[in-house]
Amino acid sequence: MNVLTIASRELRSNFTTAVGWLVLCGWLFLTGLFWVLMVQNYVLQGQQVAFDPYGGAQMNLTDWLFVPFFGNCAIVLIMVVPLLSMRVFAEEVKQRTLELLMTSPVTTAEIVLGKFLGQLAFVGVMLAGTLQFPLGLLQWATPDPGALVGGYLALGLVSASLLSLGMLMSSLTSNQIVAALLTFAGSLALVVVSWGSSDPNDWFAQVSLVTHMNDLLRGAVRLSDVTWYVAFTAFFLFATLQRMESFRWR
Amino acid sequence: MIRVEQLTKTYGTTIAIDRLEFTVEKGEIVGFLGPNGAGKSTTMRILTGSLGATDGRAMIGGIDVLEDPRSVKRIVGYLPEVPPLYTEMTVRSFLRFCGRLKGAKDPVEDTERVMKRVGLESVAHRLIDHLSKGYRQRVGLAQALVHSPQVLILDEPTSGLDPAQRVEIRDLIRELAQGEVTVVLSTHVLSEVEAICDRAIIIHRGRIVAQDTMESLARSTSRIRLVVARPDPGLQQELEGLGEVHRVSFDGTRTFQIDAGADIREAVANVAVSRGLLELGSQRGLEDVFLRLTRQDTGTPLEQP
Repeated sequence: MNVLTIASRELRSNFTTAVGWLVLCGWLFLTGLFWVLMVQNYVLQGQQVAFDPYGGAQMNLTDWLFVPFFGNCAIVLIMVVPLLSMRVFAEEVKQRTLELLMTSPVTTAEIVLGKFLGQLAFVGVMLAGTLQFPLGLLQWATPDPGALVGGYLALGLVSASLLSLGMLMSSLTSNQIVAALLTFAGSLALVVVSWGSSDPNDWFAQVSLVTHMNDLLRGAVRLSDVTWYVAFTAFFLFATLQRMESFRWR
Repeated sequence: MIRVEQLTKTYGTTIAIDRLEFTVEKGEIVGFLGPNGAGKSTTMRILTGSLGATDGRAMIGGIDVLEDPRSVKRIVGYLPEVPPLYTEMTVRSFLRFCGRLKGAKDPVEDTERVMKRVGLESVAHRLIDHLSKGYRQRVGLAQALVHSPQVLILDEPTSGLDPAQRVEIRDLIRELAQGEVTVVLSTHVLSEVEAICDRAIIIHRGRIVAQDTMESLARSTSRIRLVVARPDPGLQQELEGLGEVHRVSFDGTRTFQIDAGADIREAVANVAVSRGLLELGSQRGLEDVFLRLTRQDTGTPLEQP
């Protein structure tokens, strides 16, 4: 109950501040741009492949359109999620509103979880806004539903991970810009770390935020991949919880 | 209703509050007095469960604040020095949120009731961001009241308000106390404590230096102004010889000033009448007590509570 109260306020606050709307608009604009350009590219390539007797068999929507599209969406998320998470605690500390939560009969865990779920719900709204792209495609083609479900699941899991990381950063500072930059730098590092390795099983690839998306985007939902994101999120939420508990004892 | 025992809070080597001990009865209005940095806010934050204590105990309504903060928070309303307001929300939606968060029985109904009580009905639909300071303070107060708490803890509830608004808030606090709400408020405006509090606790450098009802606090110090027609050197000595007298000063013409620990006007009059007593007046007040107690740099308690 308390978690829901906090989550719904958190969700609504995104719609009453400029940052929330800007993030939503920026996200829809960027993903829309990607989608249009990639569909155009897909059509162009389709025309070229038409002259290749073996090519037609290789081309499919999942590999040629959805995987790169969702991959790009994940990169956009790395840019916009820090803008959502930066406010979560930094603003509360700065505006002195944290004291309201801390002196209410709620536990710190409920505060952290409520805020996380509220922001995740906003990301849900953002992701729902992109549903129009694949759905619009239905009149011309039949996308693989598995790949779509896997794609959105992957984006959801990546968002949850980014949010939890961002919430920890937001709890460490009362400056929102610093929180956003730390989150952005941290998540970018977690993506780039895999670039040096060619083997997806080696250590560098395994700690990367995006390696575990690869199979999900093709519609293969593996427990190990899902667990990785869930564990990542749980770890950072727990760290945030510890950080917030320390406020009571400073 | 509130019982504090040996309450201590240290930040590293700095001692914020040092073995505080006091009790507040149900329905009482108690004022925390002290210079800035004396430990008023720290004490209040511990009482509301937003801060832990290093040592000691604090009980509200028979529940230990440090052991079961959740139950205590349900019966305590708190207005911090800076009212905690989500400025992007409207007054009504903010108060409903607070009601839900603090476990009000009926958040929607309680919001309307509390807005009526503190006079926020006319701005219910407005964004808190657009409100004046006086209204924001009222929203802060409403936030502390929305769950009908038994104990109200107010950190400088009238700071930054104009005189008319101060009076309004004071009246409201007094009204609440009649409704059996226990109020602890801090302030450094002395007249305010004199106007609304039943009792004052004076804190200086983290220690309680005095706590008593307003009347006996004021009685504990007395400055007497005496004008006689025929002063002589013997008079000053005689005055100094009276009981409870701390200091006697003479301006060289006809006026004496006597600082005493009690109201000794009668004794002074008896001594002065043979020298042609012209005027005898006393200036008593909390201000004197306050200054006398908080000017002590040693921080040792003058009066054991």
